[in-house]
Parts: sequence; structure tokens; C-alpha cells
Amino acid sequence: MSEFKLDRRSFLGGILTASAVAAFPIMVCGVSTAEASEQPVEILYWVTVNSDNSVTCIIPQSELGQAVTTTISQLLAEELEVNWSTVRTEFYDPNTNLDNNNMYVWTTTIGSMSAHYLFDPARVAGAQIRTMLVEAAAAHSGWPVSSFVASENFVHHKTTGKKFSYAELAPLAIDIAPPPADQLQLKPAGEWKLIGNSVDRVDLKAATTGSIQYGIDVEVPGMRYAAIRQCPVFGGKIKNLDDSALKNLAGSPVAVRLGGGHAGYNSPVPEGEDPDLWATPAITSDAVVVVADTWWQAEKGLDALKIEWDEGTHKNHSSRSLENTLSKKLDAPLSFTMSRGDVDAAMKSASRTHKAEYRYPFMDPAPLEPLNCTALFNKSGVTIWSSSQYADEAVRVVAELTGLPRNQVSFRMMNAGGGFGRLAENDFVYQAVQIAMEFPDTPIKLLWSREECIRKSFYAPLTVARYESAIDSDGKISAWVCRAASVQGGDQAYGATEFPFYFPNSLIEYDRSTPSPLPFGWMRGVGYTQHLWMNFGFLDEVARLSGKDPANVYRDLLHESKVPLDTSEYDIAVARAKTLRRVLEETLKWTAWDTTAVPRGSGRGIVVSDSEYYAGYGVSSAKAAVVDVTIQADNSLSIDKVSIAIDCGTVINPDVVKAQLEGGVAYALTNAFHSEITVKDGRVQQSNFHDYPILRMHEMPKVDIKILPGTGTPLSVGEDSVPITIAALTNAIADAGGPRVRSLPIKMS
Amino acid sequence: MINMRVNNQDITVEVDGDTPLLWVIRDALKLKGTKFGCGVGQCGACTVHVDGAPVRSCSFPASGAHEREITTIEGLSAHGEHPVQQAWQELSVSQCGYCQSGMIMSAVALLNSNSSPDDADIDKGITNICRCGTYVRIRDAIKAAADSHAGEPES
Ligand code: FES
Ligand code: FES
Repeated sequence: MSEFKLDRRSFLGGILTASAVAAFPIMVCGVSTAEASEQPVEILYWVTVNSDNSVTCIIPQSELGQAVTTTISQLLAEELEVNWSTVRTEFYDPNTNLDNNNMYVWTTTIGSMSAHYLFDPARVAGAQIRTMLVEAAAAHSGWPVSSFVASENFVHHKTTGKKFSYAELAPLAIDIAPPPADQLQLKPAGEWKLIGNSVDRVDLKAATTGSIQYGIDVEVPGMRYAAIRQCPVFGGKIKNLDDSALKNLAGSPVAVRLGGGHAGYNSPVPEGEDPDLWATPAITSDAVVVVADTWWQAEKGLDALKIEWDEGTHKNHSSRSLENTLSKKLDAPLSFTMSRGDVDAAMKSASRTHKAEYRYPFMDPAPLEPLNCTALFNKSGVTIWSSSQYADEAVRVVAELTGLPRNQVSFRMMNAGGGFGRLAENDFVYQAVQIAMEFPDTPIKLLWSREECIRKSFYAPLTVARYESAIDSDGKISAWVCRAASVQGGDQAYGATEFPFYFPNSLIEYDRSTPSPLPFGWMRGVGYTQHLWMNFGFLDEVARLSGKDPANVYRDLLHESKVPLDTSEYDIAVARAKTLRRVLEETLKWTAWDTTAVPRGSGRGIVVSDSEYYAGYGVSSAKAAVVDVTIQADNSLSIDKVSIAIDCGTVINPDVVKAQLEGGVAYALTNAFHSEITVKDGRVQQSNFHDYPILRMHEMPKVDIKILPGTGTPLSVGEDSVPITIAALTNAIADAGGPRVRSLPIKMS
Repeated sequence: MINMRVNNQDITVEVDGDTPLLWVIRDALKLKGTKFGCGVGQCGACTVHVDGAPVRSCSFPASGAHEREITTIEGLSAHGEHPVQQAWQELSVSQCGYCQSGMIMSAVALLNSNSSPDDADIDKGITNICRCGTYVRIRDAIKAAADSHAGEPES
């Protein structure tokens, strides 16, 4: 058997086409005078200098709570030399990015990649703009450029002490050509004032006064509200709609039928890849909408309708039978195979073998802000107010839907009340525009109920995996078999294949061809969330069977001698093993792993990994989790502590990193203990937080975070603590004498 | 016709009495700081005070607010200077922020009834959902606010 390897590095080539060296077009918002402009002046689409000499950073991402408005501003402000207290933020215009060959480089808010991909572009833009301001001061004064220095929103003349505010220079600076990026000298790390510091989040105060503007808060004069009910069975159609009861209701409710449609894809697709295989289409369901003066009246209107659905082919579908289909699929070889050595021979000569089957249910990412979008369709085009993790796609999709040229589709990005992957689909934007097209000149705010959000989500895929291992007479793992089948969805093979360990004989198989009526979606931690705890759970089982401390097993496996010489990315694999080994050792020391005596009834679990999608991607952090648990006399479980150590490269804002990892722990525990979407009679059975619970305060353990010293480009943070926390938790439960968790959510009995 | 005092202002609204208070606050009074998360009393994003007591306004009929005193996040302080808001800022509690108005209103109510809550009191008193998982900091911020005597009755 041979080793097949996915080479996806073309992904970078395909998507990140814009170069920071390109000469940026300049947009003039102000009047060019020597006086400080009354109007804000936008420079290179990255920064607006305001008349009060404050600076607005333009953020080419969506704010989901990950503090991207803060961290990207830190990068810009560092090079631009502005005082942090003068920084404001604003979201980018997707059309600017689309018109200018992806000038922001990375605008999709997925994969925990914003800090990584924007680290250089944002600093380069800051330095270019600073240089233009300095040159403007020189040109205006007649003094040489070298006699000036920029600091704290002013360009200072070094000898005379005369200073020019950015506000007065900005109208002059826009006429100066930006210096090419390769001629700029970015500050060395030692001179950073903002990068590396836990500066206050830009929304720190607004978040405590209820004044952050989310999509749900948009107010447009003359606006009406839309409430929606989608066919509860995926793929169903409206058979009959009786809206006669609406005439008796307040708020002038009107019913509208929406046809299901293709609302684009959930991630950028590299050239040459099939979008239906690489990403996943966001297909909307047939739906009935009621538009009324208030949202509550619209909801009441929905209740008053008599809707008959043609439930279509999935009406008898159940997730239970789908799970069995996946499990049966594992009886035969799967479509994707990676193998090494001779597994059969190793199994035969083993002194011991072990098998287990693991399962992961469907889950809904469930951001707290229910899906919403406000749209206005009139003779000048469409205006959309919404959050989206993929706004560029939203604009393209709406242009197609309306038949308008793209520049007549204006997207006003709003803050999001969480995203977690759900907002990578623009289904709700598509629907809002469909409705708005029925009511030209009337702004329509579409808001989904929580029930609609849970029942019509894009779900993390149901996954079943079978493991098998051989232990030789020395107690070493001589063969490793992982065969995993997921329902149809985006390519997540990496969850199974990018396990950081090598065994002398191994077989990894993966299949995602089983159709599912529930559409696939990204969810925080993506494929690693489904697969990592399974991989580490089974490895932990095997370690314990051979009487070994799992930490010692990892130590042993993370040795460069374990990396096979014929591995196609040998150097990368060796470097990966070394990094993980270092993070493991630091974590063991920090958590006193080797010296802590664990009392009876308590347990510790440990995991070390990255979540690199493909070898050499270079985007993922290396991290480890240790979870301490106690099983009480009544068999209840208490989590005593979760410890996360991470090397995430250069840290832009340590407190933001900490917050993301803490939050990821809570997300992981919700996955582990609560999240399960099931389907019966074609319908999602869960509907709200009583049957799809989210972790609450009393379940939240103590969390310790250790940021290990790192250098180089910033690496992933947002998703990183999710997979490893689940894995360390399930291993800790086994260590404490509890059940071996092979299926989520965890049941303690 | 419902008469209420909202954030120290007398207000009359004409809505069906069974309209949840949440939608009166958000869509009639345009006070957008109070959030909608579930509509069934589960998440607490919609928490406001009715006569000083925390109430999940999505599940509280507007008729129940008649002749009563309502405080929303906007009425807690003019510019975020309430000690609980201060503690929230000090500890950088918020992530997406969506749950935080409700969390802060719940925390203020907890501290009003118990000026130095211990962990068990906080577990019992804060039953709201934060999907971003900011619980560790919420706990710390409540304790910090308690230390700064946030539990003074609302004026
Ligand atoms: S919206 Fe009221 S409790 Fe969730
Ligand atoms: S901060 Fe996002 S839900 Fe709490």
C-alpha cells in the first residue's frame, strides 16, 4: 500500500493572491487643504484620520468576540505611531476588497487565521501611511524627510520641535504615492509599544453599557420586521399556505413565501478545487415569512398561519439510522487511505490488540445572537446591515440573486453576538434580500427565533470512527488503525490524518460521502473537534492497557527518530515533533505532572497537539491541556481545573489570547457534556436552550492559562483550546476510574 | 395602554398586554442594550430589573410592567460608571458582549441582595448563558465589585 498525501498548500497560492506591495488606490473623502480637514480622510482603505486627530482603523474581518477589532488595530497603530486612546474602529467594505484584488489579503473570519494572515498586511499598511504623513510634513514645510519623526498622532520636526497633526497632514498625504512594501522597514519586536501588550479592548466600555451595535440592533427609518418559519424537514416544500387569519391581527402582517436557494459557499475555494467538495454550499430551505410592524407581531402572524409542507424525501429520516449507516460503512475499506508498513502482520505478531468505536453527534454552533439581517432594496440597489463571517461572499451572492452589479450591493458589517462558524453561511442574508425584493423601498429586518436557529443550522458532522491497535512484546504500539466516516461535508480529513504521532505500521482511512439531509457547517475547532479527542482517547486507552503513563507515551512518540525517513514532509514533521515535545515538557513541569499524587476518585488527563490542517501550513499553535477531575461518591463529576499551555508565536495581546482560550474551554465543555442534535421523522428534535443546553456558571471550572514564549508570525488561538480540552477531559475521567468516554455527550453512568 | 417608569422616565406605550416586555423595550422604546437570545427565559440576555428584581423580559408580559419601575442597562449609569460595570471593564470580561447586558443586570441584582456572594451564591445567582464562555471573569468581576461595595441599593 502506498501513502497518499493531500497537498493543500496551493490553498495559500489560490486565495492569498493580493500582495501588500501592490500600489493601493487612494480614496479621498476629504478636501485637500493645508488646514486640518473638517472631513475624515481615508488613506489606503486601511485608516481614516479624523478631524479631532483620532484615527479610525478599518478592520477587514468580522468581530465575533475574538477581539479582532483590537488586535488588528494594534498592528496598524504600532506602525502608524498613534496613541491607543485615540483609536476607533470601523469594518471594511467587502466591495473595496473585491474591487482591489483581495487587497486586505484575508477577510473571511474562519480558521483562527486573522492574526496570522493580517500580521504583515496591517503593519505594512500602518508603515506606509505613516511614511506618507511624514513625507507630507516634509513637502509642506520644505524640510527634509529625515528631519521628521512620527509619534503619538503627530509628525515632529526633530530640531525645531514644530509638530504637525495627522489631521492636518492627511489631506496632503493622500496625494503622495505609498512607498512599496519591500522598501519599508517594519519595527523590530524590541521596539513594539502596542504589540505584545494587553492594551484595553476597543469595545471595553461599550460592552458594559449595552452600546455595541449588533445586527439585531439596526434601526432604519420605516423599517418593518420579518419572522420566518422554514420547512422543518430539510429539502421540503410548501404545499399549501392559508394566511387568512392574518387580516385579524395587529401590525399589518403580510405572508410571503420564500423559495429555497443557493446562498454561496462557507469558505473561499482555491482555484482548481471543486467548491462542493472543498467548501459546502449554503442551501436555504423553503420558508414562510410574515412581515409586520414589529417582530413580535410577525411572530404571532406565523403562529396564526396554516402551513402545509410537502416534506419530501427526508421525512422519515433519523440520525440514529444515519449513525448506523456510518458505522456499517466502516465494515468495508473507505475512500481515502493513508498507510504505512504492514498492519496485518503487526496485528498477527502482537502480544495484545485493542479495538474501540468512537462517535460524535451533530452539533449546532449556536452563537447567542439569533441570526438576523436587515436589507433595503430600492432603485439605487441593495443595502444590507448584518454580521457575517464571509461578507465578501454575501455580496457576491446578493448580486447574483438581485441581478444587480456588485457595486450596487452595499454591505454594512455589524458586530456579531458570537459566530463560531455559523455565520460563515450567508443563508440569512440571502433570505433577507429575498424578502426585501418583495417590498421595494421598505427596509426589512429578518430575525430568526432561537428555534429556527437550532433547527435550521449548518451542523458539525456526525462522525463514527473505529480504532484498532497492536502492542508488541516490549509494550510499544506496533500498529495503529483509525478509520473514520463522517456525513457529507467540507474536507475535514485532517482531523484524522494529521495526528502528530507516527507508528511503525499504520492505516488511516476517511470517508465523507454519506449523504445527510442536515447540511454541514464549520464549528469552532472544526475537524479537530470531532477527531482529536477520539485519537487521544484511544491512544490513552492503549497506554493504560500497557500500564503506561500517557505523558510518557507522548514523550516517546514525539522523538525525531519516530518520524519515518520517507515521510514526504520530513523536515516539517521533525520540526513539528520537536515543538510539540517542548510544549509537552513545559506543560508537564508547569502542572507538576510527574510529581502530583492523584488521590483515589480523582484523575488527570493530558493531551498535546497542534491543529494544523495540512503539513507545512504553519498557521496552527502548539498547545497542551491538562484536566483535573474528581468523581464524587454520587457518581457526579467535578472538574477541578483545566490548564492550557500554548505556543502561539508572537502574541499581539496576551489578555486576548487568555480570554479566547478560557472561552474555548467553556465551548469544549458544552460540546462534551451537552451538545447533541438528533433527527427523527426528518426533524431536528432540539429547539431551544432547554434541550440544547449551553454550559452555565455552576459548571465552569477554574482555568489556568500559560502562554509560552513564542516568536514569528502569530498563530491560531480562537479555536485552539476546544479539541484538546475535550480530549484531556475524557482521559481524566478514565484516569479517575470513570467510564471510558467513546461517545459525546458524556454520560457518567 | 401601559404606564411604566423606565430608567427614571415616565413612559406610556400602546401595545397588546401580552407583548413581552423585551420587545417593548427594544422595539418601541428603542433601548437596544437589552438583548434577545432565546425568547423562553433560558438565557438571561434580556434581563432587566422590575422594581429592582431581575426579570427575564422575554417571558414577562408588558401588562405586568404597568405602574412599575423598570431599569435597563442604559439606566444603570450614564456612562458605565456603576461599580459592576467598572469591575467588568477592569477585568475585561466581555468577548462578543452579547450576553453582557443581561449578565451585568443579573450581577447587580445579586449584589443588591447579597453584598458579598461566595462561589455557591454566584453559581446560584447567575444562571444566564454566555456562549463565549466568559464565566471565569464574570465570577471574578462580581467578587471585585463586591469588594468595591457595589451592593448599594439602586438610587
Ligand atoms: S431572551 Fe430572555 S431569557 Fe433568553
Ligand atoms: S460574551 Fe459572547 S455570549 Fe457572553
